[in-house]
Amino acid sequence: MASDSKKGEKKKGGYIINVEHLNKQFLVDKKPVQVLSDINLQIKKGEFITIVGHSGCGKSTLLKIMCGLVDYEDGIVERNGHAVAGPGPKCGMVFQDHRLLPWLKIKDNVGFGLKNLSKEERERNVKKHLELVGLNGFENSYPSQLSGGMSQRAAIARGLANNPTILLLDEPFGALDALTRIQMQKEILRIQQEEKTTMVMVTHDIDEAIYLGNRIVVMSARPGKIMEIINVSPVDGKRRDSAGFAAYKKRIYNYFFENSEEEEETRNIL
Amino acid sequence: MGRGKKFIYGLVIPVIIVAAWYLYTTYSDVPGSLMPKIQSVFMAFKEMVSQGQLQNDLAVSFIRVLKGFLVSGIIGIFLGAIMGMSKKASALLLPTITAIRQIPVIAWIPLIILWAGIGEASKVVIIVIAATFPVLINTLSGFTSTPAGYIEVARLYNLDRWQTFLKVYLPHALPQMLTGLKLGLSVSWMALVASELIAASSGIGYRMNDARSLMRSDKVIVCMVVIGLAGIIMDKVISLFFETITPWEKIAKSEGK
Repeated sequence: MASDSKKGEKKKGGYIINVEHLNKQFLVDKKPVQVLSDINLQIKKGEFITIVGHSGCGKSTLLKIMCGLVDYEDGIVERNGHAVAGPGPKCGMVFQDHRLLPWLKIKDNVGFGLKNLSKEERERNVKKHLELVGLNGFENSYPSQLSGGMSQRAAIARGLANNPTILLLDEPFGALDALTRIQMQKEILRIQQEEKTTMVMVTHDIDEAIYLGNRIVVMSARPGKIMEIINVSPVDGKRRDSAGFAAYKKRIYNYFFENSEEEEETRNIL
Repeated sequence: MGRGKKFIYGLVIPVIIVAAWYLYTTYSDVPGSLMPKIQSVFMAFKEMVSQGQLQNDLAVSFIRVLKGFLVSGIIGIFLGAIMGMSKKASALLLPTITAIRQIPVIAWIPLIILWAGIGEASKVVIIVIAATFPVLINTLSGFTSTPAGYIEVARLYNLDRWQTFLKVYLPHALPQMLTGLKLGLSVSWMALVASELIAASSGIGYRMNDARSLMRSDKVIVCMVVIGLAGIIMDKVISLFFETITPWEKIAKSEGK
């Protein structure tokens, strides 16, 4: 709310997220380390953007800058047309470790960020979002009673409870087993189509990036740079066995494994 | 382990001690003034109860412990919480607290008697000096060990400091606060008896010292047992209170997490 509009002067119409010439440094042992270098990214309403890259390429930092959890000094980062100056209710976030608070029942975890609502409105909101993620009946459970996949569903419900214009997902399915992960990928697509929420997901799973993304942002490591933004065909991207899907996969692999021997090896493993 | 089985396991060692005691006092010629028979301890207990002495002393001591423990609990939790949430407060207070903590509580007693006499106030002050630190240190550790991820969630939802305290830090610290309070309680009894042994005209510690000077070791043992029982009851009361306010802990344990 207030924090969304503090630094805002320049408006870029129509974009949910507008990042221009963003640079970010961290101090490691008092020496500056460049984590993000000249990032430019515009995200339109209703898009599903996936960001792939090696671990440590700054993709999580980029996500945290977008939602205002991490400061930036150099460049422009706008959310809903205003410079980002801190977290706001219009931006939800889901983390790899679900980060549900162990002392709150699922309904209170989902309603954690809800403010200024009457008891009935709050209950209705929580119920609606629990239904959306398929967790009805678990209102009064504690997080320790839920499996990994269910916890992540609850975390997604929490992220959506404020009806944010954008949901940022930081490797949300990274800790899940392969079968649950595929199930959750289908679920998040369904949820996005129902809610029409703009989503940005960071992942290191290339299949996941192709399957979910309308556009894939491919990032290099140290400093994190955008190498390419790939538009994914809505048909091929949703069919894991299509030739188009395989072509996308190869294209992304080539960025990370320039050395052909290495590429062979990875192919063999897969 | 079931509740009944657990209870029986807890009784094994006390039963062995009582049996050994019985055999020793029955089959050796140790004088009763040094090591009384179990029977004479029972007799002493009856005598002290019928005279109303035991109830009076226990009540006096109990009130002192309660006062001192409550004050230490409040100070310990308050300071621990503030230091746990503010690095500045911690930097300001922790070195002094760590230094003072090294002084054994017994070493405070002479000075406290000079300042506050041998009345009620000095007993309470001594308990507070002894019991505040375990509460404080455990509360502090409960607060500082709050995972950064949870605090980040609070930031994500723009929670202010007070709400972050209530919804994130405090519930996370509760189990460790319980440990601190339990330790503080047993330390309270220790400090109380120590101060009553040195300078008092009433209370369970005074009664022990009085009985010693009359060579009534049976009465001394009655007092010791009573202190143990009172401590265990208060400990259970605190545990039960914490179990009811932290229902998620029990569930997480039963889920093996």
